[in-house]
Amino acid sequence: MPIITESSSGGSPVAKWIAVDSENAKVILTGKVNVYSLGNTWTQVREQQDAWLKNSSGNHSLIFDASQVGSLDGAGIAFLIGVEEAQQKSGGTFNLVGLDARYQPLLKEFDPITNLFPVPVEKPKRSFIVSTGMATQNLIEDAKGLITFTGHLADDLFWSLRNPKQVRWGDFVDAAVQAGIAALPIVGLVSFLIGVILSFQAAIGMKQFGAVSFVGPLAALGIVREMGPLITAILLAGRSSAAFAAEIGTMTVNSEVDALVSGGLSPIRFLVVPRVLAGILVMPVLTMFADIVSIFASMVTMLAYGIPFINFYNGMLSAVGLEDIFSGLIKATLFGVVVSAVGCLRGMQTGTGAAAVGISATRAVVSSIVMIVMVDGIFAFISYKTGF
Amino acid sequence: MDTPNNYAIEVKDLTVGYGSTVLMKNLNFTVNNGEIFVILGGSGCGKSSLLKNLFGLYQPLGGDVLIEGQNITTAQGAERQKIMTSFGVMYQQGALFGSMNLLDNVTLFMQEYTELTESQMNLLARCKLDLVGLLPYESYMPSEISGGMQKRAAIARAMALDPKILFLDEPSAGLDPITSADLDSTIQDLSKNLGITFVIVSHELASIYAIADKVIMLDKGAKGIIAEGDPKVLRDTSKDPRVHQFFNRIMSKDAA
Repeated sequence: MPIITESSSGGSPVAKWIAVDSENAKVILTGKVNVYSLGNTWTQVREQQDAWLKNSSGNHSLIFDASQVGSLDGAGIAFLIGVEEAQQKSGGTFNLVGLDARYQPLLKEFDPITNLFPVPVEKPKRSFIVSTGMATQNLIEDAKGLITFTGHLADDLFWSLRNPKQVRWGDFVDAAVQAGIAALPIVGLVSFLIGVILSFQAAIGMKQFGAVSFVGPLAALGIVREMGPLITAILLAGRSSAAFAAEIGTMTVNSEVDALVSGGLSPIRFLVVPRVLAGILVMPVLTMFADIVSIFASMVTMLAYGIPFINFYNGMLSAVGLEDIFSGLIKATLFGVVVSAVGCLRGMQTGTGAAAVGISATRAVVSSIVMIVMVDGIFAFISYKTGF
Repeated sequence: MDTPNNYAIEVKDLTVGYGSTVLMKNLNFTVNNGEIFVILGGSGCGKSSLLKNLFGLYQPLGGDVLIEGQNITTAQGAERQKIMTSFGVMYQQGALFGSMNLLDNVTLFMQEYTELTESQMNLLARCKLDLVGLLPYESYMPSEISGGMQKRAAIARAMALDPKILFLDEPSAGLDPITSADLDSTIQDLSKNLGITFVIVSHELASIYAIADKVIMLDKGAKGIIAEGDPKVLRDTSKDPRVHQFFNRIMSKDAA
């Protein structure tokens, strides 16, 4: 007495599994077989087949009757191949009967079907030592890239000083507008808030010593020498460094950078120099703007503590000298070089694909901020040693 | 008069363009079920734009496109999604997902729309990759294979859900002659045996003669269809100089 099991669910094709005995079985497939309806039927037939193959030994013979199939698509053919492969693997035989002639050529396309079942390859695991070594090598490569890039950039910057007519001033203006004028609102907002917060926090502490009148000079000095350039540089890193990296990164992905190289043009001269020049122009100007807004915010805040504008102004003049302002602006210029150059470098190091552009933009912001802190540290050391 | 259901695609008074620029005016044509339908025309005449209007990516400036009797230009929500899953699209540049390998590119839509298990989807995806000759490259990333291979992988992805209609934008451009011939024979097999309708934008004359059941030829100046029918018949009998020139590869300066 054969055991008959039907596999179906609403609208799906029906597969009737007839286990004649331990060595012979038959499947009758009926209905319309397509990729949406096949899921359950496929799984159930394969489960029954596996159970049948496992429960007995010997020569398994499966007859697959497809004479009542209404229609079949590519997924249906894959299903037939899946059942056949399971038979072959267990050493059994598979007989497909009654399949409409028009599906035969499609089935033949996949001969031999063993190609469709590759042996899974396990990726060799890397040992700790190897992965540490590779990470170190990446670090060294990165440093090399940075040094080479710095050299090329310095060379091309000097070249553009000697040949100012050949600099791409159009690109320079575009980059300066994007990085500079378009950044004014955010720089203004952030530096205003920083000015308020800085003097407010200082005032709370100073009030205990009755020294509220010293907050103005202190805040002004801090803003001009440190906070102004730093805030502006970090904003520029977030806005423009990322933008440069994404822009040049997309050009790299689209082989536009390759097109420049194969046309005998230096991508650094062509793409990086205008952007770095824009950074050099924009950073001190933005910093001055940030300084003014911050100091104004500080003045307004101190008004709330009963310090009139004129007192604040006189206190500031006694504390902040011209050399403090210049020191801040020189630092800002250096930040401008670093931020725009790092953005361009990360853009040029972009790999392939859309994800690589995102990675480059992220790396540009992170590296820019790290470099800003490093430059700031070196500058503080020089300032301390020279008294400038 | 046929009922709309007899056609895979029916185009009624379709106007194609962007904003105020009109590329094609009042197009009317039908694509039969299981037909290999080729759209021809010189560069820049709006073939790709027409294709994007046919499968509903762009909203036409006017007129209607009926896919299997359903109007894709007015369909919304679930109805629109249902129409969208009834066809597959291969874009000119391949447009593979760069963060996934080829096998995952093909299985992505299966994961979203079917109840197949992972191993079933993988087998199905391998069948599709085998059809376009890319089986050994299943674990490659799109950026690691050549442009021609990316196109073939994109065809495999378009076929993932066994759609009834496949839109192919220049499938054989950039392929070597052997691969191109293989692809033609695969397209014919699928059309003949599974009844899949193909709408293909192509310039490859050899391929067009080999596979096309029907072509329409678009012209920039006329902003419409200037020839329609069997390509071989058009080549041999058309009196229109533009059509004659195209099918017989005559340089523009010699034609005048």
